[in-house]
Amino acid sequence: MGKSSKKKNKVILPPQLPPDVEDDEVVVSDEDVEFFRGNEGHARALVRLDRKSIDSYVTRVADHDEDEVERLYEERERRRKAAEALKPKKEPEDLEVDRVDALPVKTLQGELVFNTAKKARYDDSSSGVKSKSEDKGVDAKQATQKEWKAKFKKEKGDSKLQNVHAQTEAPNGKLQSKVLEEVKEELSAEELFEKKKARLAEIGMSMLENPESNIRSLNDMLIICNDKDQKVVKLGLMSLLAVFRDIIPSYRIRQLTEKELTVEVSKDVKKMRYYEYTLLRAYKAYLQKLISLEKKSHFYTVAARCMCTLLDTAPHFNFRESILASVVRNLSSPDDAVRKMCCETVRSLFVNEGKHRGEATIEAVRLIADHVKLNDRQLHPDSIEVLLSLRFDEDLGKDETEVEKGKPKKNKRRQNQEVPKQLPMSDKKKTKRELISKARKEVDAELRAVSFTLDPKEKRSIQKETLAALFETYFRILKHSMSTSNSRGKAINVSSDVSHPLLAPCLEGLGKFSHLIDLGFMGELIACLKKLSGYSDHQFKILPDNTLSVSERLQCCIVAFKVWRSNLEALNVDLQDFFVQLFNLILEYRPERDHGEVLADALKTLLWEGKNQDMIRAAAFIKRLATFALSFGSAEAIAALITLKHLLLKNSKCRNMLENDSSGGSLSCLVAKYDPEAKDPYLSGALASVLWELSLLQKHYDASVSSMASNILSMANLNPTQNPVPISNANPLEAYKDLSMELELSKPVNKMLPPNCKKRRGKEFVSLSSDVLESSDFRADGDELKDKLKNHFAVLRGISENERLRAELNHTLSSINLYKEYKKQKKNAKSKASRKKIASALSCCV
Amino acid sequence: MAKKLGKKARKFAHKNLQSVAKRNRKLRSQFVRRPRRGSNGQVNELPGDADERMPQRANDSVMNDGEVASLVDGLEFPEDEIELNSDISDSDGYLSEDPDCLYYSDSEGSNVINDCVVQDGLDGHNDEMNIEIKKQKKKLKKLLDKDPEFGNFLEKWQSELESYRSTEDSDEEDMDCNDIDSNDKNPPNDKILTRTTINEWCQLVAKEPKAPSLRSLLNAYRDACRFGVHSRSPSVQRIQSTEVFYHIISFVLSEADNIFRALLEIPDNVNKGKIMNLRSSKKWQTIEPLIKSYLQNSLGLLNQLTDNQILAFVLTRLRASAVLFSAYPSTSRRLLKILIHLWASGDHNLSLSSFLMIREVASLLPECLDLCLNKSYNTYIATSKLVNDRNIKHIDFLMDCLVELYSLDVQKSCERATSSIGQLNAILRQASKTKVKEDLRKIDNWQYINCVNLWVRFLCCNYKDYNLHPLLPSVVQIIRGVAHLFPGTHYIPMRLRLVQMLNELSSCSQMFFPIPSLLFDCLEFRDTSQAEQGQKIKVNFSSLLKVPKNLLKSRHFHEECVLSSIDILSTHFAQWSYHVSFPEVATIPLILLKRLHEQTTIESLRRSVKRLLDQVYEHKIFVERKREGVSFSPNDKTSVESFVQDLQAEKSSGKVVFSTVLRSSAKKIGR
Repeated sequence: MGKSSKKKNKVILPPQLPPDVEDDEVVVSDEDVEFFRGNEGHARALVRLDRKSIDSYVTRVADHDEDEVERLYEERERRRKAAEALKPKKEPEDLEVDRVDALPVKTLQGELVFNTAKKARYDDSSSGVKSKSEDKGVDAKQATQKEWKAKFKKEKGDSKLQNVHAQTEAPNGKLQSKVLEEVKEELSAEELFEKKKARLAEIGMSMLENPESNIRSLNDMLIICNDKDQKVVKLGLMSLLAVFRDIIPSYRIRQLTEKELTVEVSKDVKKMRYYEYTLLRAYKAYLQKLISLEKKSHFYTVAARCMCTLLDTAPHFNFRESILASVVRNLSSPDDAVRKMCCETVRSLFVNEGKHRGEATIEAVRLIADHVKLNDRQLHPDSIEVLLSLRFDEDLGKDETEVEKGKPKKNKRRQNQEVPKQLPMSDKKKTKRELISKARKEVDAELRAVSFTLDPKEKRSIQKETLAALFETYFRILKHSMSTSNSRGKAINVSSDVSHPLLAPCLEGLGKFSHLIDLGFMGELIACLKKLSGYSDHQFKILPDNTLSVSERLQCCIVAFKVWRSNLEALNVDLQDFFVQLFNLILEYRPERDHGEVLADALKTLLWEGKNQDMIRAAAFIKRLATFALSFGSAEAIAALITLKHLLLKNSKCRNMLENDSSGGSLSCLVAKYDPEAKDPYLSGALASVLWELSLLQKHYDASVSSMASNILSMANLNPTQNPVPISNANPLEAYKDLSMELELSKPVNKMLPPNCKKRRGKEFVSLSSDVLESSDFRADGDELKDKLKNHFAVLRGISENERLRAELNHTLSSINLYKEYKKQKKNAKSKASRKKIASALSCCV
Repeated sequence: MAKKLGKKARKFAHKNLQSVAKRNRKLRSQFVRRPRRGSNGQVNELPGDADERMPQRANDSVMNDGEVASLVDGLEFPEDEIELNSDISDSDGYLSEDPDCLYYSDSEGSNVINDCVVQDGLDGHNDEMNIEIKKQKKKLKKLLDKDPEFGNFLEKWQSELESYRSTEDSDEEDMDCNDIDSNDKNPPNDKILTRTTINEWCQLVAKEPKAPSLRSLLNAYRDACRFGVHSRSPSVQRIQSTEVFYHIISFVLSEADNIFRALLEIPDNVNKGKIMNLRSSKKWQTIEPLIKSYLQNSLGLLNQLTDNQILAFVLTRLRASAVLFSAYPSTSRRLLKILIHLWASGDHNLSLSSFLMIREVASLLPECLDLCLNKSYNTYIATSKLVNDRNIKHIDFLMDCLVELYSLDVQKSCERATSSIGQLNAILRQASKTKVKEDLRKIDNWQYINCVNLWVRFLCCNYKDYNLHPLLPSVVQIIRGVAHLFPGTHYIPMRLRLVQMLNELSSCSQMFFPIPSLLFDCLEFRDTSQAEQGQKIKVNFSSLLKVPKNLLKSRHFHEECVLSSIDILSTHFAQWSYHVSFPEVATIPLILLKRLHEQTTIESLRRSVKRLLDQVYEHKIFVERKREGVSFSPNDKTSVESFVQDLQAEKSSGKVVFSTVLRSSAKKIGR
């Protein structure tokens, strides 16, 4: 850097005023020391220079004109005032909080420096006028440093200064370096840290103030990031992050072609190119640094955070691929904080596609797909869950055929702008037009490359690719779950997290994007789900080796129905098997282990939303749900009852079950006797049963459950076309959520009024049993009692006797001791005061 | 001067620095207790009984002092510590004696000293000290002989010391409060009480309660009660024989009540109002000081005694005169404090007799009820902080006692219950909102659970007789909420406890609770093969909330889980066994039990599961058969009810269906 500024041929820095610092406050930075080591010659030169300048000050030899000195004094005064003005507002100490835009900076002299950039400008102007010898270094910070350095011995030799004072002799360079080393040892780590922090902040500030001219300081900051002190490195990374976040342009920097390089360009362009080049190089170095630091556990969080922020703010910029790769990799990081951060970043990437024209989305989805593939699906569910925030245009899936016609419906406005331009005209001047359009296309392409407007067609293709990658991931997970589910161990309740961590979010995703699935896949998908849900050709028997959890299997059913329904139910698939599954899964449900919401959702999707059910099947479900409601908590019970009611409403014939018709009614069915454990709804014989459960459910402690039960029972008295007064029109899922414990506990407490119980109870005992009470009439028999009382007495007596004796003993002893005092007193003059003292002293010891 | 100043300062403090006074009192009570406890360390040969009890007592008081203050969740009721000591203020119950009352000298005078020399551990020590004193005295005498002038000097010094000490003493004594009072000021009666004297007095009093010797006897009682409190008090001199001591105490305690009743001419079942009426009568004026002296000194005695049995005896005797306390509100307050302390102590008999006394006082003196409820509740909460195998029963007993107390005046108790349940609910909500460890810990402790249990039992006891509907839902919500907040096998013991409470509530309120849903994970089969080689550690669920990790996979834990849940389940079944829908109630649990039966490898489990299965099956078929015969529909409520009654009548003795199961599994669990 010294060199570059030299090249710029700035004027020499004049000797400066002694800073108002105490000698012992002087510190020398590591860098300085290093510099010294590396440049012995400079050091020697420095020695000379110091001699001279110090002489000049100490002796007050005015070898510079008075005005200059005065100006410098003024300047210092001004700076101090500025610093003072700022001091109360911000302390440099809270750098940790706001390191990023730390405004005031503590210089080496301990002064607060705020407007360094201003100063730089001031210096610039002065040098521009060439009136004085004021040099302008790259940044003000350096100026202040120099200022200070010039005064004192242990100084980095600034080449310019060296030139000025090169003539002065250098008698004992070695001595100087020794002193230097001593000083260095004295430096405490803290001071060093403070100093580096200050330097970072200063560079950062100047960068933010004027990125163009200070762009090279990036390299300085990068160097600081190589520091040994971990804290400094972290600070460095964070400051660089702040700087980059601010100065990264809103376009992508393109590599210059050979041709372009050869072309002569204006000064401005040159400057610009230089700026961009430097920025890009620093950015690259920074990223490399981050990626390498990421592997060290100590910097892991910091590096990850930096990358996430960068990706979030500049997804369009160069090197996005490497950041993205790293972030995606961290999606399944074991570190919760990092994982959350990465998920957030990727989500915002998906949501704010405008920033990067969707390119990053497809990249990310692909990366996730690869990631899943590479890690054999043993990742944290979060890494798949982020895909849920993907957004696709509504018509993307359906319009597949129309897409060919090039008639996208979305973005009409933009279409209007662009389409006319591209419309080829069948004209005579075809060739010319072609030329024009070709040129226009080029321009358009370039324009688009720069701006973020997206051709709908392009957008569509990007989305299609994204979708393909997405479903690829999903199907891979499904297939994998299927292939392993059979080979897994025999344990019955393998929790979902252990074996198929990705299945749950995958199913959720399939449910969400079910309308976008290609019809071709549909058949396979349904088959797949069927298998996963535990259905097998050997019906009536749940395979013991199907080890997906109940929730997962329920989800499979839900997804199958969603897929089927979102494709307008056009698909000719037999979903009967899923009903059988649900019928059995209801019995397998366990409140804490499985997610009640999934069950409620399944009830809602399969039964509540469904159209007319087969009567026998409906009856089977009705009976099972009623039984279910008896054994499970109120939330599950209400979901079941709502479904039950819905089924009864839809299948009025099933209302017979509400009445006790001993013959089983006119509805004859295959099975005459009800089998509560039947595996097949058609064979359960539920139509012959009576819903006795409801009479007990009326006694349910939960008011909503009991009223629902009564409500259902009241249907018995209505004729088939009538419906009972609806008491709630929530669907099972809503009802479940409404009664679930979490919600119940978050509802406000209704003020309890103490009940009014005026009646007074008599004296009878309510909770203590009589035999306990009888034992109370215990009476110690006389002798025992006597003994005990005697003992008590004896102990007390012993104690008091002991106390008395002790007092006596102490008294006697002190009397003896007093004799010595007495003797002494006799010898000495008998002063009243002393006697008193003794007396009191003695009394104390008694 | 110093004394005056001290008095002034104390007055000021009493007026303005209540908290200081409070602390002083606390410190003092520790002071009074400590030396005795300390002495116990020296007295090694104390009767074993007392030895056993000491540590426990010490434990109790330590807990009360230290931990009550650090109660995490503030489940306690605020206590009003401010007290009026007006009616016990100055007098210490010393009664001026009738000069006619004769003192007899003891015939076997010389034996007196000897007979008190029971195996006293201090005696050896005292003897040594005696010798030492003699030695030192000899030395002193030598010195005095050598230098007679020293004698004068010494005398002067001694007189100085005396005066110095007396001022200091009176200061100290005043500080030392109202308990240990300044009886130096009263004309001390230091005539030695001999056995014959006491015998004579007793006979006189027994013959004629109004005899003047009653006064003397009560004075003697007073001295006996405060024997040993103060080493320099004359009581030590007055009572020199254990016989005398025993006589005085036992006679006064057993006869005092009768005597006073005879004097006041009141019947046995007198109530507070009558006592208050009596207060204005002339008769009262004359006898009042006697009663007061008796009651106060009895309290002093309670404070003094350390032996459970004697304490229980004193309490039983004192209970007869409980009504007399109504004339002295603050004395009765003091009494309650002592009683509640004793109640919480570990000994069952003592605990019971103090409880009976508390209940007596509380029901006789309504104005004490508040204090009583607050104090006993707080004590219960503090005591139930730690539950282990040894004190489960005690805590259970305390809970029952507390329910008794709270059932005395349900209206008043309901307010308390409401506020306490509100607190519990708030803690639960907070925890469920934040899910922070600290908040969860406020629930995951015995205090919380025991508190819930207390209110559940209170509800159960009073649900039928009073309208407690508003409380039920919130209690149920707390129970369900806690069960929900702590899932997982760790907390099975706690959950089982909660489910038991639900069962209790269900049986008292006749509401239906879906108990099985909370038991399912206990009934799941678990592979415990690897625990076979491990040592057999007893898991006792009743003293656990959370199972330690090392036991989670043990066979014993699994067994315990299944057995306890079977136990609870059969209670649930038993309750609804005659309901029409019993077959449906049993359906899902039966499926699980069957599966468990098939899978389990533990023979004992298999057997008990099988037994329950068979019984439930049998009963299920029975109900189904009965059900087929009826023609009413499920919505016919009255018929459903009558069906239950019919079945009950038919099966004669109520809910016996699963009792065998209950008993057998109960045996295993050791409840």
